[in-house]
Amino acid sequence: MNGMRIAWRVTRLNFRAQLEYRTEFLLMIAIGAIWQVSVIVFATVLLTRFTGMGGWDSSEVLLIPATRMLAHGLFVLLLGRVHGAGRQIQEGRIDIYLTRPMPVHRQLQLAFFPTNAIGDLTVAVGLMVGALSRSRLDWTPGRISYLIAAVIGGMLLEAALFTAITCAALRFPAADYWSRWLEELLGTFGSYPLNVLPKAVGGLLTYGLPLAFVAYFPAAVLTGHGHDTGAPYWLAALSPLLGVAAYLGSRVLWRWSLRHYAGVNG
Amino acid sequence: MAVLHAWRAARVTPLGELHAPPRMTAVLVRLVVQVVLVASLWHGLYSRTGTTAGLAEGQAVSYAVLAVLASRLRELDQYAGRDTVLQHMHFGTIVYWYLRPLPPQRYHALRALGEQLYGFAWALGGYLVCLAAGVVDPPGSAAVAGVFALSLLLGQWVLYHVMLMLDQLCFWTVRNNAAMLILIFAQNLLSGVYAPLWFFPDWFITLSGFLPFQATLSVPLSIYIGRIPLSDAWEQLAVQAFWGVALTLFTRFLWRRAARRVISQGG
Repeated sequence: MNGMRIAWRVTRLNFRAQLEYRTEFLLMIAIGAIWQVSVIVFATVLLTRFTGMGGWDSSEVLLIPATRMLAHGLFVLLLGRVHGAGRQIQEGRIDIYLTRPMPVHRQLQLAFFPTNAIGDLTVAVGLMVGALSRSRLDWTPGRISYLIAAVIGGMLLEAALFTAITCAALRFPAADYWSRWLEELLGTFGSYPLNVLPKAVGGLLTYGLPLAFVAYFPAAVLTGHGHDTGAPYWLAALSPLLGVAAYLGSRVLWRWSLRHYAGVNG
Repeated sequence: MAVLHAWRAARVTPLGELHAPPRMTAVLVRLVVQVVLVASLWHGLYSRTGTTAGLAEGQAVSYAVLAVLASRLRELDQYAGRDTVLQHMHFGTIVYWYLRPLPPQRYHALRALGEQLYGFAWALGGYLVCLAAGVVDPPGSAAVAGVFALSLLLGQWVLYHVMLMLDQLCFWTVRNNAAMLILIFAQNLLSGVYAPLWFFPDWFITLSGFLPFQATLSVPLSIYIGRIPLSDAWEQLAVQAFWGVALTLFTRFLWRRAARRVISQGG
C-alpha cells in the first residue's frame, strides 16, 4: 500500500515535470495521436483500395487495429518505459536504481510520465468507438468481456516482448536496437488479418514473434474467423491468457537478468 | 590535406558500424525479414485485385521493397554513436563543433555523406539480391535506370537537408523530441515510405506535391517502376532540384543563425 502511494506521488510529480515545457507537453500528446493516426491512414488506404482483405469485411478488419491500438495505448501509459530502456541502461541509471529501496523495475516504470500515451489513448478510444459502431456483431456481455480481456492480454503481451528485449539490453546494451524494430513490426503487421500473408510468414508472426496473439486472433474469434487463422481455434481463443502468461514469464526473466547484471562497464 | 580531413570525418560512422558486428548482423536480419514481410504483404493484397491506383502487382511490390531498402540510406544508429545534434545540445558538447578547424556545417555534411554512402552500399547489395531473386522488377529501360539514378541522387540531396533542418531545430528548442518525431513521421508518410502515395486520396497527393518530402523517395521510386513516365520525369527532376536549392539556401541561413545561439559552459 505504501509502495502504491509512493508510485502515485512520483507519477504526479513526473506529470508536473512534463508540464514544465508546455509546448513539448502538447507536442508529445500530438505525436502519440499522430503515430496512431498513421496506422489508421494506412489501414484506410488499404481497405479502400483492397476490399475484402483476407476474406474479412472492412468493419471486421477495423476491430484489429482498434484492439491493438487500445492495448498499445494502455501499454504506453502503464508499462511502456521498458521500451527504449536501453538508453537508461547505457547511461548507467540502472546502477543508481539498484542502490535505492524500491524495486528496479518499478523505478524504471516511474522514470518519467509518458505524455504521448494521452494522444495514443485518445485516438485508440476513438477508433474503438468507430469500429464498434460499424460492427454488425451482437455485443453480448460475453463478447464485451472477451474484448476487454483481449485488450488487457494484448497490453501484457506487448509488455512481455519489450521486457524480454530490455532483459537482453541489461547484458548487451545495443540490444535496444531491436525494440524500435519490434514497435515498427507491431504497428505495421499487427493491424491486419495475417491470413493475407503466405502461411510460412503468417506462422513466423504467430509462433516466432507472437504478434498474431495481440489483436488478430482475438478479433478473429470475435468475428467468427477463428477457424480460418491457420492456428488451432483453442489457441487463438486463449490469446488473452497467453498475454498474462507471457508477462509473468518476462518478469521472471527480468529478475533473473537483473541478478546477472554486471553494470555497463562490466 | 583537406581531402584527408574530409575522408576522416566521413568515415566515422561507417567505421563505427564496421567495428560492431552484432549491430551489422542485426541490420542484415532486420532488412531480410522486412523485405520478406513487405513483399508478402503486397503480394497478398494483390491476390484478389488487379491493377489499382495505376499500379500493377509487380510495380507495387517493387516500390514497397525499394522503399525498405532506401530506408537503409539514413537509418544508422547515430544515437549509439553519441554524435547527434540533439545529444550534443542536451549535454552542452555542441560547442566543440565550433572549436575545431573544420566548420560545423562541413563536419555535419561530411558525416552525413559517409553515412549515406555506407547506407547506399547496404541498399545496393540488397537491391542486387532482390533483383536476382525476382523480388523486384528491373527498370523498364536503360534510360529509366539512368533517370532513376539521377532522381535518387537529387532525392538524397533533398533528404539530407530535410534531416539537417531537424538537427538545426535543436538549436532553438531545449526539448524537441516530439517535434523531431513529428517531422520524421511527416517525412515517412509524405515521402511514401509507409505506402506508395498513389494509393492515397487525390487531395493527399496534391498536398504532398507542395511539400519537399515526396521529392526524397516517392519521385525516384515512381520513375523506377514506371508510374511516372520518362516524358513527365524531367518536370519532377526540376521540382527535386528546386527543393534541393531552396533547402540548401535555407539551411545555410539557419547555420549562421544557429552559431549565434551556441554558448559554452553557461556563458
